[in-house]
Amino acid sequence: MDSTDNRKILISPVTRIEGHAKITIQLDEAGKVTDALFHVNEFRGFEKFCEGRMYTEMPVITPRICGICPVSHTVSSVKACEMIEGIEPALTGDMLRRLIHLGQNISSHALSFFHLSAPDFLLGYDSDPATRNILGIAEKFPDIALRGIRLRKFGQEISERITGKKIHTSGIVPGGMTFPLTTANRKALLDWIPEAMETARMGIDIIKRFQDEHSEMVNSFATSPTHYLGTVGAHGVHEIYDGKLRFVDMDGNILQDQLDPASYLEFIAERSVNWSYLTYPYYKPLGIENGIYRVGPLARLNVASRMKTPAAQKEFERFRKINDGKPVHGSFYFHYARLIEALASVEEIHLLLQDNRIISNNIRTHGHWNQSEGIGSSEAPRGTLFHHYITDKTGKLQKVNLLIATGQNNPSMNRSITDVAKQYVDGNDIKEGMLNRVESVIRCYDPCLSCSTHAMGQMPMKIEVLDVSGKIVSELVRS
Amino acid sequence: MTTLDIYIDDKPLKVEPGKTILEVCRENDIDIPTMCHLDGLTDVGACRLCLVEIEGVNKLQSSCTTKVSANMVIHTQTERLKRYRRITTELFFAERNHICAVCVANGNCELQQLGYKVGMDHIRYPYLFPSCEVDTSHDYMVMDHNRCIMCTRCVRVCGEVEGAYNWDVMNRGFNVRIISDFNTPWGESGTCTSCGKCMHACPTGAIWPKSLSGEQLHKNPEMISELVKKRKMNL
Repeated sequence: MDSTDNRKILISPVTRIEGHAKITIQLDEAGKVTDALFHVNEFRGFEKFCEGRMYTEMPVITPRICGICPVSHTVSSVKACEMIEGIEPALTGDMLRRLIHLGQNISSHALSFFHLSAPDFLLGYDSDPATRNILGIAEKFPDIALRGIRLRKFGQEISERITGKKIHTSGIVPGGMTFPLTTANRKALLDWIPEAMETARMGIDIIKRFQDEHSEMVNSFATSPTHYLGTVGAHGVHEIYDGKLRFVDMDGNILQDQLDPASYLEFIAERSVNWSYLTYPYYKPLGIENGIYRVGPLARLNVASRMKTPAAQKEFERFRKINDGKPVHGSFYFHYARLIEALASVEEIHLLLQDNRIISNNIRTHGHWNQSEGIGSSEAPRGTLFHHYITDKTGKLQKVNLLIATGQNNPSMNRSITDVAKQYVDGNDIKEGMLNRVESVIRCYDPCLSCSTHAMGQMPMKIEVLDVSGKIVSELVRS
Repeated sequence: MTTLDIYIDDKPLKVEPGKTILEVCRENDIDIPTMCHLDGLTDVGACRLCLVEIEGVNKLQSSCTTKVSANMVIHTQTERLKRYRRITTELFFAERNHICAVCVANGNCELQQLGYKVGMDHIRYPYLFPSCEVDTSHDYMVMDHNRCIMCTRCVRVCGEVEGAYNWDVMNRGFNVRIISDFNTPWGESGTCTSCGKCMHACPTGAIWPKSLSGEQLHKNPEMISELVKKRKMNL
């Protein structure tokens, strides 16, 4: 990293997120930030190479896009397959799928908070980058690290107890499940609930303490308003597995409600950009200039009218007070929203496990190809995920469209890094801690670039500083 | 009954004439890997996994097609044979597009088991990544040429056991393909009886029921051997 006049800053690779990315920060002649771009520079091509396969293979192929949210891909995929077959899942099969999906949500949120983001809150944004990670937390706060790891394990164990595998399970199929939940496994999972509740609450305490102690930073950190999209149940209740879609605008007015996910193309459009493999989706009725919206935990809490469960509802009420009942725009509050969702998921899992129908062996309905088009959606940990398949009359896929949560957050991620770069980066005196703040706003979104570009790999990241002529004059690279 | 004296891996054996080396080995618990062999079907020596060394013979011989003769001295487990078996296995994987993780036969695949058996921890040959058709035209079953290893068990079971002669082989080398009738889509075949024996005979996930996906396929090739045995008993 050097510093000269008229520069561009390159942060590459962006660390502690899933996937590969870099950030380019454009400076003017006075060294002030004028723009920042989030680049995702990998390409995997799942949509293309799935063409020509049988649609029934998609629930097994698409989870391989990602090791963090494979269940969401499977769930969206089986729903698309069920639309093709014209069937509804068996009740218990559907409950088990919901259970596994909630488990994945907890696991992903625990990973995002305890492993990837908590180092900033517990060790400090400007602490030594070499120890600003989960190992650094394990050294200084061993109890928190262990509990975070165990919360993630709890989420994955749900899948293991039902299907025998922690990730990339094969038991979720069109029509339901192929594995039931045994009584012994049900009991083992119920035994985890008190600890999981306690850890989720502990996470909430950590983030709330940080928010209180750094309220100025938190409330000024990437606060550009956007619209929000999320799945809701009946009467607008918070939902992450199955429901209808709701758009709210930046003031909290409901733009559209109870939308059928199968009609997503009527309200979401995408545009490709020349600096990233991520596309720029937007809310179609408002156009690309005004239609910027976000998905994910923050969006889900901003669109929901209430939570399903009591402890989460209490926390939700506190969350909604942050902006006097209006949508909370500060990107930092993604963390708080994520932890409220983790708490809600533990509570919902508890309810599901107490329902005796969960151990029924009547877990699957069977179907076969019935129509050529299938669309399925679910709320992945990072937001609304759509799978859209078109087949020929033999069931062979002709076209595949996967609209991924991180892709939908791409426009606002760009806006957020620009906000933060303008606020924190001084082109005349670039320090690592400044760039970590730019990175950290990306981590607020917890982007999964493997999913969003269907790109592969872990997430090194790079920040580039460009001068007015576009020449790189400084860069920060981490691997 | 006359018997022949032979030696396999230094072990003296008395065996009936007319048997293949592979049959004798199986009867005596001598493990030789195979892919194209299926009890009850005519052996063709296609996969080259069952090669053995016979003293006095310069070339390696496929044990499934070589009959025992008097005083044969056979070696089945030499270092050279083990090396060749691993090479052959790696070539199977490199030739077409075998992605176990998303395959319907994952965990129930003879090719996958073979990989474990010969200790294949990586593949030293460049993948060819051929562009292969997935034939979904049949009402109930799929033929995925990406996963086919040209063992021809489907061809033989269709002709020899079902008597339908739907399957055959077209072209040679890299371009070799299993075809239905005169290379028509399977669903348009005038000979296929939809009996599903080819699916059970297939050692990989190349032929599978449309209703299944990842790891759900459980084949029963022994059923074919039993069918053949029972038919012989009736005769």
